[in-house]
Amino acid sequence: MKLFLPSIAVWAFSLFVFSAQAQDTRISGTVTDGTSGEPLIGVTISVVGAAKGAVSDYDGKYSVPVSASDRQLRFSYTGYNSQVVDINGRTVIDVVMNEDNDVLKEVVVIGYGTQKKSDLTGAVSSLRGSDLRKIPSHAAEQALQGKVAGVQVTSTSGAPGATPVIRVRGVGTFNNSSPIFVVDGVILDNIAFLNSADIESMEVLKDASATAIYGSRGANGVIIITTKLGRIGDIKPSYSFSAEYGIQHLAKKIDLLNGKEFGAYVNDIITGTYNNLDALPNTDWQDLVFRDAPIGNYQFSVSGASDKQQYYLGLGFFNQQGIIEKSDFNRLTIKLNNTYRLSDKLKIGNNLTLAPFSQSNAPNVTYAAYRAQPVIKPYNADGSYAEVPGVGNPLADIEYTNNNNRGLRSVGNIFGELNLDKNLVFRSSFGIDFNYAESRAFTPVFYVSPQQLNEQNDLSIGNFRNSNWLWENTLNYNFEKGEKHRFAMVAGYTMQQLRSRIFTVAAENVISEQENLWYINSNNINPNSVFHGVDPNQNYALLSYLFRANYTLNNKYLFTATFRRDGSSKFIKENRWGNFPSFAVGWNLAEEAFMDKYKAINTLKLRASWGQIGNEKISYLDQYALIINGANAIFGTGENTIAGSTFGKNGNPDIRWETTTQTDIGLEIGLFESKITAELDFYNRLTDDILVELSTPGYTGNGQGVKVRYNAASVLNQGIEFNLVYNGRAGDLKYRIGALGSTVKNEVKSVGGSSGVDSTLVGGFLGNGQSVTLSKEGLPIGAYYGFETGGVFQNQAQLDATPHQSIAGVGDLIFVDQNGDGKINNADRVYIGSAIPKFIYGFSTELTYRAFDLSIDFQGQVGNKLYNGKEAVRPDLYNFETHTLDRWTGDGTSNKEPRASSGGYNWVTSDRFVQDGSFLRLRSVTLGFTLPEKALNRAKMQNARLYLRGTNVWTLTKFTGFTPEIGSNDVLSAGIDYGVYPITAVYSAGVNITF
Amino acid sequence: MNIASKLSIIFLLLGLSACNDFLEESPQGNLTQESFPSTASEAALATNACYATLRNWYFHSGGYPILDIMSDDSYKGSNPSDQANNLDPFNNFTFTTSQDGLDRWWNALYEGIKRANVVIEKVPLIAMNDNEKAALIAQACFLRAMFYFDLVRAWGGVPLVLDTNPALTLGRATEEEVYQVILSDLDFAAANLPERSALSTSDYGRATKGAAKSMLAKVYLFRKDFVNAEKFALEVINSGEYQLDPSFSHTFSIYGQFNEESVFEVGAQGKDGYDNGGNQYSNTQGVRGTPNRGWGFNRPSISLQNHFETGDPRKEGTIIFLNEVLDGVTIAGDGSTPNITYSDPPTNSIIAEIECYNQKVWIPGTTTAEQWGHNRRLIRFADVLLMAAEASNENGKAAQALTYLNQVRARAREGNAAILPDVTTTDQAALRTAILNERRSELALEGHRFWDLVRTGNAPAVLGPLGFETGKHELLPIPQTEIDISQGAIRQNPNW
Repeated sequence: MKLFLPSIAVWAFSLFVFSAQAQDTRISGTVTDGTSGEPLIGVTISVVGAAKGAVSDYDGKYSVPVSASDRQLRFSYTGYNSQVVDINGRTVIDVVMNEDNDVLKEVVVIGYGTQKKSDLTGAVSSLRGSDLRKIPSHAAEQALQGKVAGVQVTSTSGAPGATPVIRVRGVGTFNNSSPIFVVDGVILDNIAFLNSADIESMEVLKDASATAIYGSRGANGVIIITTKLGRIGDIKPSYSFSAEYGIQHLAKKIDLLNGKEFGAYVNDIITGTYNNLDALPNTDWQDLVFRDAPIGNYQFSVSGASDKQQYYLGLGFFNQQGIIEKSDFNRLTIKLNNTYRLSDKLKIGNNLTLAPFSQSNAPNVTYAAYRAQPVIKPYNADGSYAEVPGVGNPLADIEYTNNNNRGLRSVGNIFGELNLDKNLVFRSSFGIDFNYAESRAFTPVFYVSPQQLNEQNDLSIGNFRNSNWLWENTLNYNFEKGEKHRFAMVAGYTMQQLRSRIFTVAAENVISEQENLWYINSNNINPNSVFHGVDPNQNYALLSYLFRANYTLNNKYLFTATFRRDGSSKFIKENRWGNFPSFAVGWNLAEEAFMDKYKAINTLKLRASWGQIGNEKISYLDQYALIINGANAIFGTGENTIAGSTFGKNGNPDIRWETTTQTDIGLEIGLFESKITAELDFYNRLTDDILVELSTPGYTGNGQGVKVRYNAASVLNQGIEFNLVYNGRAGDLKYRIGALGSTVKNEVKSVGGSSGVDSTLVGGFLGNGQSVTLSKEGLPIGAYYGFETGGVFQNQAQLDATPHQSIAGVGDLIFVDQNGDGKINNADRVYIGSAIPKFIYGFSTELTYRAFDLSIDFQGQVGNKLYNGKEAVRPDLYNFETHTLDRWTGDGTSNKEPRASSGGYNWVTSDRFVQDGSFLRLRSVTLGFTLPEKALNRAKMQNARLYLRGTNVWTLTKFTGFTPEIGSNDVLSAGIDYGVYPITAVYSAGVNITF
Repeated sequence: MNIASKLSIIFLLLGLSACNDFLEESPQGNLTQESFPSTASEAALATNACYATLRNWYFHSGGYPILDIMSDDSYKGSNPSDQANNLDPFNNFTFTTSQDGLDRWWNALYEGIKRANVVIEKVPLIAMNDNEKAALIAQACFLRAMFYFDLVRAWGGVPLVLDTNPALTLGRATEEEVYQVILSDLDFAAANLPERSALSTSDYGRATKGAAKSMLAKVYLFRKDFVNAEKFALEVINSGEYQLDPSFSHTFSIYGQFNEESVFEVGAQGKDGYDNGGNQYSNTQGVRGTPNRGWGFNRPSISLQNHFETGDPRKEGTIIFLNEVLDGVTIAGDGSTPNITYSDPPTNSIIAEIECYNQKVWIPGTTTAEQWGHNRRLIRFADVLLMAAEASNENGKAAQALTYLNQVRARAREGNAAILPDVTTTDQAALRTAILNERRSELALEGHRFWDLVRTGNAPAVLGPLGFETGKHELLPIPQTEIDISQGAIRQNPNW
């Protein structure tokens, strides 16, 4: 890394010098704003067809060298309509530029094509420009958070390299509810390889009209990502460099008891455990485990075009250390996009990303930092690690863990487009996603305590290879008949195949603990550890046929019909094929004559859609009942291993496609030349035949915790989404204010159904035999289900007079006898909250004043509950949160906090651990300064901006954990705080330079 | 347009020719259940897999020796807070229907039953040598009976699964129905299994005729069918296949694996991990601290220590006390565990527990991994003798009862005539008590005591002070998840 940055700079500089040339004459002039008449600063003036250009200065003046052969100048400025002006021998050319507020002119990328936003009948949200790069993260999808109505992005962990969880319009299924990504036409499950600096735009397809073209995989939303390419006409290469460096900081510590308070608490359980509370040690384990850590993101790119070619080359480096030692993530991204016009009829191109990465994973010591007793000193007198009862010493855990993985992800495609006719284009695209990764974990010999030790060193190695190819062939037919009729049609077929290989092996007693000896050989191999097989989620084939027709009549009436037929190898022949149709209509009311009198309204569109889409994100093995190997017996005086094989769990060959039926009604408005734009959508999403893994009765012999897949549930999501933007200016101050929000009502309509197994889905297992969630008809998915508390038993009389379990005593929680049978048992458990927010919102403002810009993004949610799982799990005596200081110690002392106890009765699943998860977070605040023109000219730069940024710096919440943002890939465990790696606040500074 | 037309045709042809074959996949690296087992060698593989369940940690009462902890023989152990909330409820009978561990035990037993059902259902269809076939099926029947016997004793009448694809709507069978299956399985096993002497030493660990008959004796004893209990116990005794190991300590030790006293034993290798051939049963109970052999659960109780008759060497053979030297290692114990705790602090006049460990699972060596190599003896000849004594006494054959009882005492005495005098009483009630007491001394910490107390009606008197409620705690509660999944088809035991 140390050598890397300077070498980029040298490379960039040499390119820059090389491109400087001698000039003939100069053209000068002034660029002004069409509305205010003010000079425009920073307008890019380029000579069409030549690598020459200039930028307007603070007074809007420019001067550009031209030669006799140059014919045209291009004026471009972000947010304004670009202009191309003929030179015609002039030496002074003044230009008036107009703001491009008409967002409906925007062209939107939809599946297998593009469409004018005004012609769109589906619910599609776009994100582009600086909005894509506001969060210092390796995960480009973080940009969607608080920026697209109906999309919820939550972090599962603050660990470097962790991937966030995305939900589009609620939680539609019990299994994988994540949207798919389409990057330059390649369909992918994740985009961990993508550098956000290389992204031109992201579009989120939300309703059935938009997603049905992706058929089987569109049910949870589709995120289309287009990466950058040089623009036609940008003859002069554009060099761009940016760097951001920041410090991550644990935003909030959890309030836990100190040594003295802990001692007092324990004395309340067993009198006299600690005699001298003041003499007790006081270890703050959070301070010992967490640290501040750096994060850096650097990139360089070149883009441009000629008559025959458009290109973009990007090089990026991302480096993040974790706030827990021994965790980090490094990723290099190499992006190569090219398009070649071989003839008037034929265009070919490629999009390619190479992303080598390495990641170190710290042990999850967040748990231990939370649980470790404060009265334990971290080290013994001799400097060795002290035994920490129950959880183990987290510092030792960190020291003895050496766990990393590294690999190379290569994603890209090559494509050709042939104009068969003026209106008919044939496109074929072959894409690949090839991922190779290797993991290595080494644990040395160590001894801390009987339950924290390793008697012989262990080494495990894993090799993982996933390959995915996708071949898509489409015909696009666009046809206009006069001004009145406009047709766009696409038809095609696609084939996709995913393959994977996993090879893992472990060794023991590696000859020495030095890293250069961490290899496996015949002396140290553990033969029982060898596994060679496939990743069952990455081994299948899909065959699809697709069709879409759009028809626009008089620019007013819009019609779309879509059909996709998908076949998947995940189902047996009889259940293999699924048909996914959708229909949509739109009405541009603003184009109607009767709207002419409402001058303020420049856009008004109503649209409605209905469609069915599918989901099949399950293991390819679910259809099979398999034989398992390795069920070995040990026989004989020689204790020989005798191989055994037997039935694994029952399979289910009857599984078939899961289907989501979605209805959407939308309204789009633009007022005052689109200074104000608003979009409003109502949606209704019903997912049927959900592929869900159900617990079968234990007597089936499937084994502890083993589940079988069924089509056996349905879930309804309903909600409203809105998005409001106001663009304005006052003198030199330009501003944009945006707000968006969405509601979700989630309800399980049925579980189990005819399968006769389980009408409830128990989930959210805490690992101590307790479960937190129960999903059943009438409740939201993953509803928390437990006892409702009704205060604390104050005295024996109250205890005697109230139904209670025999183990409850005075000072313990009162559990409400819901069914009034005078007994407290599992029948008295009720719905006690849901992790699904009632309302998700975001608001942002961007201000530009002369050379300064300020952008502030807030994001929040209301009405969701979190379950403090880490507090509830108490097999041993752990530390306690400070709210226990208010515990019951006698009649009348507390009716909320029960008496002191180390676990058991008061710690079962109840609303005691349900907390309000609402929050408002200052997600990002950025203050930028753009260098003045004179300084730029002197440095021969087009643009240079410095900025300071804070991410997640302020959060308003009542939740007692590290962060109220608790993401989970498992929808049945959503919102349960298991004690994950905390998400951090980041303070950073950056620079963007274009030349 | 010529090239274009050609391309269009190619495009269309490709689309149409992309047929279903592209979507035909098969599972990688695994056979499917439709085709297994179909050969003699696969039948053997399927039979071997039934035995693997015996090494599954969950098979041993859900991972911890909860049956011992529920009895008066032991406490939870380890350091005071370790697993306190998961195991103390078994000691003081405060566990609930969703108690940790219940589901693990239930599920492991039914997993074993499924594996046995694979053999019992599929092997008869294979063309192979009839004797070999019967021997394999008999092994599976023996194990299925053993798993059902645990289920019926722990939970009463449980769902009866006799094939590999049971309906998902089963309710509970009656206890009687479960016992009928157990008895017919054991009858078949006893008829078709070889005697121990017919096994090659490399097959030790497989079920034998003697093991099946011992199980029959035990099942009849639990059913109070003392005539049959006596009959089968005597058949085992008179077969001459078994005899008591001269040394009580030796019979449990690593040196005494598969000795002549061992009727049914679970082989294990001294490697940590089930996948590596180990069995965690003794690792959970091994000495904690110095020397580090395990987690130190299942701590022998003061009551058990006081139970042994004066000078009974079995006390030292059953319990590892601190500062004892075993196989050349001084037992120093765990620093974080108090050596003595009192039940009346701060006066500290009544000892509640002292730090000590279960010696029956002791393995010498230098690592905890070796502790995984303990072969759990599930049926010992001493148990068979005591069953014979008990059944004889109940059948009014006191003299015969005394013979078998005193055989066990004579071995325990190990030649020291000054201790453990022969029992001489022929009074049925007194002899009944003497036999129950002998069972406790001989079989402590082997999972017998709780059920012995329940089946003899002594549980309320002995365990009542610990929290045992008559009419409730004779049976464990069916795991709550099992009730929830069944949607009420499976009913909870009384008073839970």
